[in-house]
Amino acid sequence: MNFILESSYDEEHKRWNAVISGEVDIFESDAMKNTLLQLVLDKQGDLFIDCRGLEYIDSTALGALVAVNRNVAAAGYSVHLLNIRPNLAKLFKITNLDHVFILEGDINEK
Amino acid sequence: MKNDLSPNGNIQLSLPLNAAYVSAARLTASSIANRFAFNIDEIEDIKAAVSEACTFLIKKLGNTGGDFTIVFDPSRDLMRITVKAAGTLVCGRVDEEMGLVMIRALMDSFDLSFGIDGVLIVMLKKHRKICFD
Repeated sequence: MNFILESSYDEEHKRWNAVISGEVDIFESDAMKNTLLQLVLDKQGDLFIDCRGLEYIDSTALGALVAVNRNVAAAGYSVHLLNIRPNLAKLFKITNLDHVFILEGDINEK
Repeated sequence: MKNDLSPNGNIQLSLPLNAAYVSAARLTASSIANRFAFNIDEIEDIKAAVSEACTFLIKKLGNTGGDFTIVFDPSRDLMRITVKAAGTLVCGRVDEEMGLVMIRALMDSFDLSFGIDGVLIVMLKKHRKICFD
């Protein structure tokens, strides 16, 4: 895999803390989507994804995140993307997805 | 030595029309853009645009068993990049493709054409530095 996704559930705050690193493109966007959807299927809650180590994300992976966000929002929760690199934040802005997701700083600030 | 960077005028890369090889296209685009003195932001733009162009071809042509070809054609103040593959569209609707929206925003010029020979994407990226001085 070109990307690594690690996750843990925070019982106190009722939320998933995930860390994603590497590159996600058309080859692996479905794998990322299925992994994230499985998390919120196992336990509902907000989904915090630390993207500090995310080096690249393409349109299919952005579409996958939109699908995850739709699923999470339908259950009354939200997806938070933390520490997005400037070159990737630019892609969110270009596609207007900066208005769809909650883009934030460090997870420890929350 | 700088004039030897592109002795034949352009650089061509041919890869299987398969999602597994988009990362190879991206890595090559990044390396070539760096070699021709684009700055870090421009390199990121080129890398993403090439990746999206390849992804578009794979999504629209399907797994044909054929190849796609990327041609990097550097000149004094810009890089012309052509991405093409043979085949017929498995899905005709393209106007709402997020990937094309990204290419239009990232590159200085973008053109998409369909023909009996397949799909052709031509992109231009200008840069501020002069690389053949």
